[in-house]
Amino acid sequence: MAAANPIPDVNSASERKTAALLVVAGVMDPEQLEQLAAVVAEGVGEQDVLIAAPDMPPVESIHGIRLVAAAASTPSWILTASDFVNASQLAADHEARGVLLLGQGAWGLRPEVIRAMAEAVLVNQTDLAVPWYDLPPRSGLMNSAILYPMTRALFASGVRFPLAVDLGMSERMVQQLAIVGQRYAASNQPETILWPTHEAVIAGCKTTEVEVGTRELPQPAQSDVNAILTQIAGSLFADIEAKAAHWQRSRPIPPPIQRATTYAVSEPVDVTPMVEQFRSAYSNLQEIWSLVLPPQSLLGLKRLSIVDAAAFRMPDSLWVRIVYDFVVAYRLRTINRGHLLGALIPLYLAWVASHINLTASGEDAETHVEAVASAFEVDKPYLVSRWRWPDRFNP
Amino acid sequence: MTNVYAMILQTDTQAATSGNPPVWQHMSDALFQSLYRVLTLFIAVLPGILAFFVALGLFTAIGMAISALLRRLLKVTKFDDRLFHERGADWTPSSSPTELVARASFWACVLLGLIIGVSAFDASYATAAVLPMSLLPYLTQAIGAILLLFFGNLVARFLARSVLIGAVNAQLQYARFLSLGVKWLVLVLAAAMALDHLQIGGRIVELAFSILFGGIVLTLALAVGLGSRGLVSRSLESHVERTAERPVASSTETVAAPVEPLRHF
Repeated sequence: MAAANPIPDVNSASERKTAALLVVAGVMDPEQLEQLAAVVAEGVGEQDVLIAAPDMPPVESIHGIRLVAAAASTPSWILTASDFVNASQLAADHEARGVLLLGQGAWGLRPEVIRAMAEAVLVNQTDLAVPWYDLPPRSGLMNSAILYPMTRALFASGVRFPLAVDLGMSERMVQQLAIVGQRYAASNQPETILWPTHEAVIAGCKTTEVEVGTRELPQPAQSDVNAILTQIAGSLFADIEAKAAHWQRSRPIPPPIQRATTYAVSEPVDVTPMVEQFRSAYSNLQEIWSLVLPPQSLLGLKRLSIVDAAAFRMPDSLWVRIVYDFVVAYRLRTINRGHLLGALIPLYLAWVASHINLTASGEDAETHVEAVASAFEVDKPYLVSRWRWPDRFNP
Repeated sequence: MTNVYAMILQTDTQAATSGNPPVWQHMSDALFQSLYRVLTLFIAVLPGILAFFVALGLFTAIGMAISALLRRLLKVTKFDDRLFHERGADWTPSSSPTELVARASFWACVLLGLIIGVSAFDASYATAAVLPMSLLPYLTQAIGAILLLFFGNLVARFLARSVLIGAVNAQLQYARFLSLGVKWLVLVLAAAMALDHLQIGGRIVELAFSILFGGIVLTLALAVGLGSRGLVSRSLESHVERTAERPVASSTETVAAPVEPLRHF
C-alpha cells in the first residue's frame, strides 16, 4: 500500500512512549489485535502510533506498533461514556493529538479507512471524523428511521451515522466528550450513550465523514427491537431534551451527499408479522397513543390499520409527526418514559414494514431515507412550537 | 286479653290517683336523658372536631406556601437542570423534579395537619367519652385504608399499562385481557389489605381474597397458556427446521439464497 504517511515523523517518540495518534480498541483476542495492528501499520505506518486495548498480550509491540494497556471497561456493542473518558485519559497520558476510537470488529476495517480518519484529525484539522458505512438496505433501520433524520433536522448535521461505532477525534474533541462522559461516570452511569455528533455541533467543532465501505456493525447481545429501540431512542430523546436551547434555533442544513451503495436489492421480506403487530397495537394501545398523538395522527393510524400488508405504506409526514409528538411527550413526561418508548415500538415496526415495501417496489432505500429526512426538516417548526407551547394543544 | 287490658287500666288509674308518673313520662325521661348524653358528647367532641378542621386548614395553607416557595426557589437555582446533569437521563417519573418536590412538600404538610387534627380529635374524644362509639376509633385506621387503596390503584394502573405494552410487543394474543387481569389482581389485593387494616370481615375476607386471587391467577395462567400456544409451537417449529436444515444444506447443490435479515441497528 503505497500512500503518504499522514503522521509527521518524530524520532524521539518511540523512546518516551508518546504518539501523535492513539488507536483505542475494545476487547479483542490476540489474533484480532494482531490483525488490527497490521491494518493500522499498513494504513498509517508504525511511527508515532500507539494501540491501546484492555487485556493486552505481554509484548511491547506488534507489527512495529507499540502497545499500551487501556483501562478495562464493560464490553459494549456501542461507544459509551466510559470509553470516551478512558480515551481522553490515555490521550493525555501519551500526549496524543488525535484519537481513533474503534468499536468491536474494527480489525476488519481497511487500511485506507484508518489512514483517512487519521488524516482528517491530524492533517485536515477536523475535530470529529465520523464513518459512513455502506450497509445493506435492511440494516441500520433505526438509524434511517429516527437517528439520522432527527440529527439532520435538529442539529443541522449531514452525518449519516450519528451513532457510529468508530470515530476519529482531535485532542479537543476527545476532551470535550470526556467532560460530558465524566458527568455520567461520576453519577455511576458509565454505560450511558453519548452523541458525539451533537456535542461536536454544539461545541462548534469541525466534522467530516469518512467512507468506510462495508462493515459488520456490532450488534447488542439482546438483538430484539424492544431493547434496542428503548435504549437508543430513549438516549436520543434525552439528549434532545438536554440540548433544547441549541436546536430550537434555525440553522442551514447541508445538502445530502449521494453515495453509491454496493448492495443490490435482495430477496423480499415478509412484512406481515410487523403489520400484524401494528394492528394488534392499534386495537390495544389506543388509550396510550391518544395521550401522546393528536387526532390527525390517530386518524392516519386508523387508515393504516385497515391496509393490506402488501400495500402497507406509512406516509413520511405521519411518521415525522409521530416521532415529534413522542419527543414532546418524552419531555413533558405525559406517561412513564418506559411505557412511552414501549408504545413507540409498533409504530416503528410499521415504518419498517412500509420502508421494506417501498424498497421492494423498486424505490431506492437511500432515496426514501433522504425523503424521510427532508420531511423531518420541513416539519421542524411543528416540533419547536409544540416544545415551546405544549399547552396550546392537548391531545 | 280482656283481663290484661283491665289490669293495665286499673294500674294506670291507681298510679294517677296515687300521684306516680305514668308510663309515657318514663319514656320521655329516658328519651331526654339519651338526648342529653348525646348532646353532651357532641359538645365535648365539638372542640376536637373544630381542632381537626383548623389543623387541617392551617397546615394545608402552610403546605401551599411552602410548596410555592420551594417551587420558586428550585426554579431559580435550576434544580432540574442540575439534577439532570448529575443523574443523566435516568429520570422516569411523569413530573419534573421541582414539581415533585413541591407537591411532596404540600402533601407532607396536609398529612401532618391530618395527623395533628386526628390526634386532637382523639384526645378530646377520649377525655369526653361517655358513650362507647365503635366507629370513631377507626378514623385513623380508615385513613390508612384509604391510603392503601390509593397506592394500590396507582400500582395497579402502572402494572396494567406495563403488561399491556409488553404483551403487545411480545405479540401475545390476549394482551388486553392479561393487562386487565393484572390490574384486578392488584386491586383485589389492595382491597383485601384495606379491609384487613380496618379489621372488618376477619377470616371471611381472607377466604374471599384467597378464592378471588386464586381464580384470577388461574384464569391468567389459562389465558397465557392458550394465547402463547402458537408462539411456543412456532418457536419449536423453527428450532426443528434449523436442525433439519443443516445436513440438507451441506448435501445439496442448489441452496436458496438466504433472505437478508432485518437489522435495526
